[in-house]
Amino acid sequence: MNEKDTKNLEFATIFGNTPSSQSKGKDHIVQSSTFRLILSFINLYALITIALFFLIKGNLVAGVNTNFLDKEGFWHILNSRAIILLVLLVFLNASAYCNYGFKYACLVLIVYMLNSAIDNAVLFSGFMHLTDRPYLSAFTITRPLFIISLFWVMIIHKYKFKSD
Amino acid sequence: MYKGIELTISFWVAMSMSYAFCFSALYAYATLPDYLLDPNNTAQIKTTLKLSTIRLMIVSLALIAYPIVLFKFFKYAKYVTVALTSWATTIYIDDYFVLVEIVEYPDSGLISLVQLSRPIIILSLIWMSFELTFRSQTEV
Repeated sequence: MNEKDTKNLEFATIFGNTPSSQSKGKDHIVQSSTFRLILSFINLYALITIALFFLIKGNLVAGVNTNFLDKEGFWHILNSRAIILLVLLVFLNASAYCNYGFKYACLVLIVYMLNSAIDNAVLFSGFMHLTDRPYLSAFTITRPLFIISLFWVMIIHKYKFKSD
Repeated sequence: MYKGIELTISFWVAMSMSYAFCFSALYAYATLPDYLLDPNNTAQIKTTLKLSTIRLMIVSLALIAYPIVLFKFFKYAKYVTVALTSWATTIYIDDYFVLVEIVEYPDSGLISLVQLSRPIIILSLIWMSFELTFRSQTEV
């Protein structure tokens, strides 16, 4: 490398304009902004769902009748599902942070969400209608959006540098 | 015949066990004794039979689709296997921890046997997932 090239590299480094091949020294992968946006949406959606359930469960929302939760073990089911969702969300974020097994974590969460949607449709369609409790139905209706987001984030996730 | 698929014997054994389990489950529910289909059954048994019908439909689809994926689209076989493993684990956890107050399996000999052998199929599927995942990683 001659003197001119060395100087160019120094300036490029100072101005944060280093070519990607020279910045591979930092051994982490920068995901696309779409990925970060969708992952944030997934986290926000899941956390709001869980928070809403625990607020209703703890009688912290005024004007909401929680008697329906006692029917046919609905309370126990929602409670268990909220805890499992929280655990899976922790695994998803940990795998995204460590960049290991992220696609599998997404796949497990997708399967879990689809299965719980089927279970709820089969078990509770008889006594619970969508218009009864709009604050819960909103999450039931928008669940496909959550599943599509998980699919999307699974597809666009990068494990390696493209040049590798 | 199937170039490129060189899996260990244990994979095929695990796959055979999974298939045997699924076929026994289908047989057990297809030949349910008449007294179990009685409309005076408890609500739990009715719900369980309703849920089992939908699950068995998914199982039937998986039984048909899995060999196609394995032999034609081997690249995606690991994802399908992981998805099926997580589904089998999810429904097991659901039945014993989440839906415990709602689900009650009928007291029939073959159904009880199928229920008892569920952990074995989960272990078989986990083995298949591990082998497909780590085998393809070492090949790259």
